[in-house]
Amino acid sequence: MRQHPLTAILARLGSFLLVMVVLSLMIFTLARVVPGDPARMALGPAATPEQVQALRQQMGLDQPVAVQYLDYIGKALHGDLGISLVSQRPVTTDLAQTVPATVELVLVSVVFMFLVAIPLGVVTAHYRDHTLDHVGRILSLTGVTIPSFLFAITLQLLAARFPGGWPIIGRLEHGLGWQGGPTGFLLLDGLLAARFDVVGSALQHIALPAFALSMAGIGQITRITRSSMIENQRKDHVLTLQSFGVPERVIIFRYLLKLSSIAPLTIMGLEFASLIGNAFVIEMIFAWGGFASYGLNAILQKDLNAVTAVVLVAGLFFIVANLIVDVLISIIDPRMRRKEAL
Amino acid sequence: MGDTLLSVENLSVDFTSYGRTRQVLRDISFSVAAGERVALIGETGSGKSVTAKAIIGTLPRNATVRSGSIRVQDKDVLTLPRGEREALKGTAFSLIMQDPLSSFNPVFRIGTHLDDVMRFADRRNGISTSRSERRSRIAAVLRRVQLADAERVMNAYPFELSGGMRQRVLIGLALLHQPKLLIADEPGTALDVTTQDEILNLINTLVREENMALLMITHNLGVVRKVSDRVVVMHHGDIVETGPCHDILSQPTQDYTKALLDAVPALYGPRVTDMPQSDRGPIINIKNLNKIYGRRNGHHAVRDVNLTLREGEIFGLAGESGSGKTTVARMIMGLLRPTSGDLMIDAPAPAKGRRLTQIVYQNPGTSLNPKRTVRQTLTLPLKSIGMQGDAREARLVELMGLVRLPQSYLGKYPHELSGGQKQRVAIARALAAEPKILILDEPTAALDVSVQKTVIELLVQLREELGLTYLMISHDLSLMRNFCSRIAIMLRGEIVEEGATPDVFAAPTHPYTRALIAAIPVVSDVEEREKPVVTEEERMRFLVKSTD
Repeated sequence: MRQHPLTAILARLGSFLLVMVVLSLMIFTLARVVPGDPARMALGPAATPEQVQALRQQMGLDQPVAVQYLDYIGKALHGDLGISLVSQRPVTTDLAQTVPATVELVLVSVVFMFLVAIPLGVVTAHYRDHTLDHVGRILSLTGVTIPSFLFAITLQLLAARFPGGWPIIGRLEHGLGWQGGPTGFLLLDGLLAARFDVVGSALQHIALPAFALSMAGIGQITRITRSSMIENQRKDHVLTLQSFGVPERVIIFRYLLKLSSIAPLTIMGLEFASLIGNAFVIEMIFAWGGFASYGLNAILQKDLNAVTAVVLVAGLFFIVANLIVDVLISIIDPRMRRKEAL
Repeated sequence: MGDTLLSVENLSVDFTSYGRTRQVLRDISFSVAAGERVALIGETGSGKSVTAKAIIGTLPRNATVRSGSIRVQDKDVLTLPRGEREALKGTAFSLIMQDPLSSFNPVFRIGTHLDDVMRFADRRNGISTSRSERRSRIAAVLRRVQLADAERVMNAYPFELSGGMRQRVLIGLALLHQPKLLIADEPGTALDVTTQDEILNLINTLVREENMALLMITHNLGVVRKVSDRVVVMHHGDIVETGPCHDILSQPTQDYTKALLDAVPALYGPRVTDMPQSDRGPIINIKNLNKIYGRRNGHHAVRDVNLTLREGEIFGLAGESGSGKTTVARMIMGLLRPTSGDLMIDAPAPAKGRRLTQIVYQNPGTSLNPKRTVRQTLTLPLKSIGMQGDAREARLVELMGLVRLPQSYLGKYPHELSGGQKQRVAIARALAAEPKILILDEPTAALDVSVQKTVIELLVQLREELGLTYLMISHDLSLMRNFCSRIAIMLRGEIVEEGATPDVFAAPTHPYTRALIAAIPVVSDVEEREKPVVTEEERMRFLVKSTD
């Protein structure tokens, strides 16, 4: 009856691969259809037509798009994403430096979301239609409606007045003598190297952007958790446990919470798309130096290889995040592990 | 009968919603003695479930107890401190819930539910137990409710068990701490009639062997006869009549009880409506009809079905859940494509926008759009046949007249109507575009028995007035006996018996038909005696056992 979880995951992986192929095709074509000659932009207005032509040939831009695409994919599969025209370094090198910063920011935002939104959802559901619930609803609505950049700037203004000062840009304090670690995640590397000053400073730096980034998600997930809890509270199985005297806290925190976490988790997976999108803005405001700001520059400079790589990485990130969400949900919900359900 | 276990005195309960207060229980008093089986019977809104909830302490938030007391083992549960009140749960009394799939949390194993219930009840009684100790105690209880493979049941998730098995687990849940009083809220109602019969037998056995008292809440008078010594009849929050079961069922003194008994379709004796056999030609011809769901190793839902419906007759297709009766109806409706076989409807092709067949679904609460008024609901099919202006208005009025609803109801929304009225609207909608054949898919299963009677009478009159042909799908054989001129019994996709209804009931040839008829809870001793005899071997062969 039951399908092995691994088979289900493999089937999912297959469909995700397809998504990646379609995504790469789209961005590859789109980047080449948009007006503006990347070679000309890279070389600047002073370059001679011969120089531009030479670069075009070197980049393969004189070939048909289909040939270019196959060529790109062939190289990409060997880990070569080409050279960035702007930085003159391999795109993979640039990504290795910038991706961890963004991933760290997004992951900390997600942790924020769960730490704030799930308890808030449970509490507002329990005290529904009481003052606490109304306050919670207004707060979550505020979170959803205020644009994240506005929230980010407000946070910066407030933090600047923080007694003793609070860092409002960058990832780390200068002068700590930090040489970087193996993963590029400051929090993880700091812990591995037992440099708690680095961890502390990184936490301080990441708090504001992560909070600003998580705000919209907090609002949404609170509301989903609340309505899911309320819906499940009315079910017969709650009555069953109540009528046998199972304590209320066990019913809420054990039975209801697990069942009601399915909906917010699903939303969480979708939320990653807007998280990555908002990261582009937040990173600029907080001078974060992640791959979102790298990507923004690449788009403005029409740095073809960099743009394609950034989009693919963002897509991959979204897909991996949703794969993880799917696995989590299938762990929680036994019905999802059934063959028919997939 | 011994000591009084439960006594409810002058209990009044109000519900408040949207600022309006409604009295749902009016000064009711009754008691249950040790070892006694009492049935609380009533239709929708009678207050029987509210009474149970008040005893158990699970009244909804908007309920207020106006007055009265509920004494369990000489303690008033309404005034008892919370802790002491909780301590009664599971030990002094326990509840057997009805099993729709929703009685267990779908993401937890059955064993987890059982273990938590046992653990917290133990803790309240000051006993500390280990997990493995509890597991073996639970396994023992599961075997008491005839779930032989207790380990498998405990490890299963709710959706992996059949309805009958879940109902048994729910009974087991109630038995964990040897309660003195079992309160059963319509157990087995959502199950097939044969499974329900097994469940009722099990409850009877347990109550006798453990010397428990039983408070059975039900709307089914047949169930009452099977599992109670004394009956309390409720109506609109009042107790109408109380007395020994046999007396109430054979010589009711109150008009309401009489009407209730009168509405129950009898399994033997004179039929409520006597249907002449149709002598007209066939209108539906089905030959070797098959339906297989899924491609590889598909589920063979309908197997070589042959049927002929004659024009003007009421044909009954009976069977339990999963027998394939609904699939046949959907294929006739054209909602499903047969995998193989012929399906011919022998009537002139209908005009554009019209159909030969229409359907009335089981639950008008869900088949009517709650956001549309009766007028909007009925207008839609009229629009599709291109009816406009005055003609359409006249037709709307005519339709309301047909289903005996006042014209003023056109402006109402479904939630303003009673269950029976909603079903009348659903019938009017089905009739709007003048079909020749009406498919009735359990048309009264969601209705109270007294309402069922009026809807059935309406359908009988409509057939005569409009010259319709009915195909009725149902699991309720006693209803079909009173309504259908011919009947076919389906089992696992096949028709096992077919014939004129009186013949089938007088002398059922197939053992499954006999088992099905024998399982019907009946109201009178006469009916019980007339039931066909089913051998144990036949039961084993044809009944889906609810224990595995």
